[in-house]
Amino acid sequence: MPTVVLMDVSLSMTRPVSLDGIEEFQRKNLAVHGLNMLFEHMASNYRLEFTSLMAFSSLWELLVPFTRDYNALQEALSNLEDYDKTCVEAALNGVSNVVQQEWGSACPCQVVLVTDGSLGIGKGSLRHSLQTLKQRGDDKKFPLPFPFPTKLFIMCIANAEELQMTDAMDNLEELLCLSGGDGQIFTMEGPLCMKSVQTMFGKLIDLVYSPFHAVLHCGNLSSDVQVFPRPEPVVMDEEVEPMPRTVNVDEVGTGTTDELEEEPSASQMAGKSPNFCVLLHGSLKVEGMVALVQLGPEWYGMLYSQADSKKKSNLMMSLFDPGPEPLPWLGKISHLGPISEAADNPYGEDDSKSPFPVQPQVKRSYAQNVTVWIKASGLQTDVQKILRNARKLPDKTQTFYKELNRLRKAALAFGFWELLKGVADLLERECTMLPDSAHPDAAFQLSHAAQQLKLASTGDSQYAAFDHNIVPMHTDFSS
Amino acid sequence: MLFPDREALPSQGFHQICKMKMFSVAHKTVFVVDHCPYMAESSRQQVECDVLTKSRAQGVIPLAPVSKSLWTCAVECSMEYCRILYDVYPKDKLVNYIVSDSEFHILNSWRREDQSTHELMSALAAVGPPNPREDPECCSILHGLVAAVESLCKITELQHEKRIALMDTADRVANRGRIICLTNAKSDTHVRMLEDCIQETIIEQNKLAAGSDRLMAIQQCELVLVHIYPQGEDTLVSDRPKKEISPLLTSEVHSVRAGRHLATKLNILVQQHFDLASTTITNIPMKVKEEQHANTSANYDVELLHHRDAHLEFFKSGEYLHMAGTSTRENGLKETVTLKWCTPRTNSIELHYCTGAYRISPTDVNSRPSSCLTNFLLNGRSVLLEQPRKSGSKVISHMLSSHGGEIFLHVLNSNRSTLEDPPSISEGCGGRVTDYRITDFGEFMRENRLTPVSESSHDPSGKLPAERAKAQLERHTRYWPMIISQTTIFNMQAVVPLANLIVKETLTDEDVLTCQKTVYNLVDMERKNDPLPISTVGSRGKGPKRDEQYRIMWNELETLVKTHAGATDRHQRVLDCIIACRSKPPEEEDRKKRGRKREEREDRTEKNGSKETDDKSWQDSERSVGLMDKDEQESEVIKDSPDSPEPLNKKPRLTSEEIQPPERTKGPVSLLTMWSNRITAVNSRKHQEFFGRASSVNSKFELYQHLKDENGMDVHENGKATR
Repeated sequence: MPTVVLMDVSLSMTRPVSLDGIEEFQRKNLAVHGLNMLFEHMASNYRLEFTSLMAFSSLWELLVPFTRDYNALQEALSNLEDYDKTCVEAALNGVSNVVQQEWGSACPCQVVLVTDGSLGIGKGSLRHSLQTLKQRGDDKKFPLPFPFPTKLFIMCIANAEELQMTDAMDNLEELLCLSGGDGQIFTMEGPLCMKSVQTMFGKLIDLVYSPFHAVLHCGNLSSDVQVFPRPEPVVMDEEVEPMPRTVNVDEVGTGTTDELEEEPSASQMAGKSPNFCVLLHGSLKVEGMVALVQLGPEWYGMLYSQADSKKKSNLMMSLFDPGPEPLPWLGKISHLGPISEAADNPYGEDDSKSPFPVQPQVKRSYAQNVTVWIKASGLQTDVQKILRNARKLPDKTQTFYKELNRLRKAALAFGFWELLKGVADLLERECTMLPDSAHPDAAFQLSHAAQQLKLASTGDSQYAAFDHNIVPMHTDFSS
Repeated sequence: MLFPDREALPSQGFHQICKMKMFSVAHKTVFVVDHCPYMAESSRQQVECDVLTKSRAQGVIPLAPVSKSLWTCAVECSMEYCRILYDVYPKDKLVNYIVSDSEFHILNSWRREDQSTHELMSALAAVGPPNPREDPECCSILHGLVAAVESLCKITELQHEKRIALMDTADRVANRGRIICLTNAKSDTHVRMLEDCIQETIIEQNKLAAGSDRLMAIQQCELVLVHIYPQGEDTLVSDRPKKEISPLLTSEVHSVRAGRHLATKLNILVQQHFDLASTTITNIPMKVKEEQHANTSANYDVELLHHRDAHLEFFKSGEYLHMAGTSTRENGLKETVTLKWCTPRTNSIELHYCTGAYRISPTDVNSRPSSCLTNFLLNGRSVLLEQPRKSGSKVISHMLSSHGGEIFLHVLNSNRSTLEDPPSISEGCGGRVTDYRITDFGEFMRENRLTPVSESSHDPSGKLPAERAKAQLERHTRYWPMIISQTTIFNMQAVVPLANLIVKETLTDEDVLTCQKTVYNLVDMERKNDPLPISTVGSRGKGPKRDEQYRIMWNELETLVKTHAGATDRHQRVLDCIIACRSKPPEEEDRKKRGRKREEREDRTEKNGSKETDDKSWQDSERSVGLMDKDEQESEVIKDSPDSPEPLNKKPRLTSEEIQPPERTKGPVSLLTMWSNRITAVNSRKHQEFFGRASSVNSKFELYQHLKDENGMDVHENGKATR
């Protein structure tokens, strides 16, 4: 999940914090210190995360576009300049644009807002933005909630008491609420100093940026893995199952978003000893197979080799939605058994076939030649089909009756008896128009069919049964 | 982990969480269709079904056009609603169909097996059209509406299953439902009377439900009343948006002319009721049917309905209404997103970064363009869909393809992916080991592939098929060295029959015989002194002597078979056979031999710096470094061959101190080697040997042996148990 760091560079951030007169820092220095700590942590433990850095005052600026280059981010932090007043709304609009341009609106994103909690004055201040929320047209909507799923973390370079003296805390809480409520406001505890800013960012790191370790088991083979991005809990049905599902770390692999990448964790194992993940990856790649992985009760995913380029490939895990049957064409996962139990190998001795996909019990409408007469053309086509075949009797006897019975069934179901009479009339007319050269059977079949349709159109249960089919009249012209 | 076929999973990932609550009003839909005499009236929309071709037109009087009754219109439109619903939600969005005249007729139940248009059509045929001669005074839609409320109280299979599963939180299973009433009402007052009656019935039925296990009280009911009147008449009932009658009941009224207006209305309703959206595939090339245009092709459009999440990206980015491809059709009621067909390239089996897959239903299912498209997809082809843009590069945003007879609209990620440029697996741990048994593990995966097992089949063990598959994985991995140089037996063709059989849950007598034959064959090989595929890499010599090779092989075979010996008596018989037949009794002989050699070795080191003793002392030094030296030894391997897989006979890990390559005794030796050998040889004498090393086999000693006793199972190879 990408991160946007939104750094307040308004003048108020340059306010000094003095500690017993020993050293003097600005709040900005504390913020930079905290962010450096975050970036260092990510560089070593979370290096696949894309992070961008934006600075804002009354205007906003994208200092570093989304990158995994944490040096670049730290470099930019060291070159921050000071500007005018705080305008959170404009900055959030900036975040919205930057994120959507890069990742679209479906990709969840983390926003880390670093501010001293003095949220501007007058027009453009957060207070003003929130007060005017309801008086806006469609073109000037408040940027929260963002179109993409968001986690908002507000890092206050101030302590809670200070923020509660004004309405700053209330405003920040409302901001968090507007963004969808997912996230947290962090404040500094005790005196404003390097140590307390470290503590605050430490809490953020533990909450959001701790690496996800898990163990991947395959029978007795196993491997410690780190999963990135970190799998997030999923709420399947807020009513029936209000508790979010989380990945069971001990059970097997991992995760909740769409795709996860696994890296064998370097911390646990000696560098060059064989690792099951590497073996698995190699074989999946060579065989072109995927491995099903269970993440918890009724929660599954798949592992496969994902190649970004010819040279680099890695083991990827995609998670399915929790549930007993995540992919309909696999059937219930609990009912997938070993092929050794099957009488014949369902894949064939030479891998020429496959037991998948599992066909649904009932075919979908587009796969079963349904009859729909909503549009006149549908009805006309079906009638014409019957007439076309009627003119080619007796060669087309089978098709003729098949189409006739299809129409009959639909007309009976729709209570459209008038149509049955109409088609019977048409068939009788065809009968009178048969050319002299016509096979004598044609006339017999046409009048037989017409008579049967007429009987059905009376609704008489003997002739109008839905499952009954009109069968060709038995004729014998061989003698 | 289990192994299905990759073919079955052509896309990379799915995210199709349905936002609708499991038990929202959409779980239960009751259709109540008026079957009273006035419904037999003509809709006055005429259909010309006798379309004469020009060549045949002369002298033929065309058949008078037919017209559908109000009943026929109501039934076919409700069937279309159900068709779309069942296509997109094949499970657990349920319909109960009731018709009402002088009494109610319930045509199906909530049961899953009753949920199909075929079932409903069959039941409707039995009902037939309304009888125009029936006494209108006896007939009323009310009979059906009361039955609908009663039906909503009946528990569905899903509600039952979930209540059982949730146990003490069973009250989380809600009971909501929707009644779609297709009728010809007399007036607005009549409509109000119907609403009041439903409200009362709900209260009554809820009281009844409170005292029953098979009934549930209705928490929310949504009435959608569709007043149908013939073309050319004025409506007597006015449209009314949804309003709350009571906390239990909401009601809305749609007044619609029969015929295509009704069809459009129900199409819109099914989209609203089930969170659907519409996509029109445009520019579909199709051969033209008419003879005069043979071999030409024209472009067609096909409209599909699907869950609206497939348009999430458009909705959220606000592009939805402004998208170039969005068009408003017909009477301005309907919106569709237009996507352009991209003719598929042949033989491209690309994996696309897919973020969701949604079932589709064609709006006009049996039109020729629709059936051409769906048949194309059902035959296994895929179509990429492009967003029409006025400028800029083309963006592929969706893909149509079928799985198992069902067509899905796949959403492809057209933005930058957060998963781009992942590190190579070779950068991670174990990534530089080059002799993984890739081919063997591939074979292992193929043997452990999965297949669907019928839910009706019952296994005597009482285990689900997936549990049995996991149990098989467990058995097959009890002894499974990951790299070629860790194993001898899995590099030997002669061991294959035994290795394949011993992992089975049960053995037949014949299997035991085969295993025994394998063992005898190995004995024979040893007698003939056949070479074994044992690696020499890292051993600084030609590797172990032949008898030592066989000792290694027998040890490994014994390790494999021991992990299964406890399973059945027959498994034990295989182990007994190996122990009886193998060349030397393992441990004791081993220790004796080592003791003897050590003396011998020290002797020689004193005497001269011959190559042979160099090798010995190097081995000694290695032992003295302790357990960590394994990694060093491996790093040697990697220096030898950084990238390519090791040849079969390279065996760094199995080298042991008993190497006596006679040829090398005469070879030259570097000064560094001589010096370091001397130093390490001296050092090794300065401390007492570790217990583990002293009693090791093959310079390997199994750690945590007590665990093995506790578990009754040895899951690790000797020496590997260290981690």
